[in-house]
Amino acid sequence: MSGITLYAALVAFGFLAGATAGLLGVGGGIMIVPFLTLAAGVSQHQAEATSLLVILPTAIVATIALHRKGIGDAALALRFGAFGAVGGVVGALVALALPGHVLRYLFALFLAAVAVRLLRDGLTTTQTGA
Amino acid sequence: MTIGGAGGLLSGLLGVGGGLIMVPLLVFWAGYRQRDAHAMSLGAIIPISLASVLTFGAAGEVRVGYAVVLTLGSIVGARVGVGLLARIGERPLKIAFGLFAAAASILLFLR
Repeated sequence: MSGITLYAALVAFGFLAGATAGLLGVGGGIMIVPFLTLAAGVSQHQAEATSLLVILPTAIVATIALHRKGIGDAALALRFGAFGAVGGVVGALVALALPGHVLRYLFALFLAAVAVRLLRDGLTTTQTGA
Repeated sequence: MTIGGAGGLLSGLLGVGGGLIMVPLLVFWAGYRQRDAHAMSLGAIIPISLASVLTFGAAGEVRVGYAVVLTLGSIVGARVGVGLLARIGERPLKIAFGLFAAAASILLFLR
């Protein structure tokens, strides 16, 4: 894909990823990374970096929305995340040190684990209403 | 701290939010309710993704144009998703998303 088609697909796919994230609480990066590598032909490293740049503003908007509704403690969450930021830097440095294909296999393994868990949940849990 | 660190590590390594690991850990280890765990995880993702993206950015790996376009769709989608939350059951969603993840995983292995 290239040019206008690619950008239209990116908007549409961003919408889908955002909707899944809003509905399931997961799905932003997990959908964006494979889309960028498989459909847009971006390298694994670039796909991950770009996905994180999408997640950041989305998380800010969602956190503001939740804060306005009085759900959660945003200040506490930010402090909690400050510890996570150390992990984030370490994780990104490890990713940058790994060759692209190794990182792609790691991501695929993680995705397979996510698929198993979601399908197991979806097929076994009893429906308790929305 | 362990939960945040684990979420951050996963986020930086794989380019995801880290909520997938933080939410269950917050619920099962820390005894959070599901909704509060989601809010906590979302807030924590802000400093985590900022730190990860700056690290990748320093290495010149970020495609800013793609990110901007994806974000436009994503923010609208997130609002629609939250709005639909009350009307769509969790099970068909989990199955659909699980199938997507399985297919993407296979394609990534084959590529």
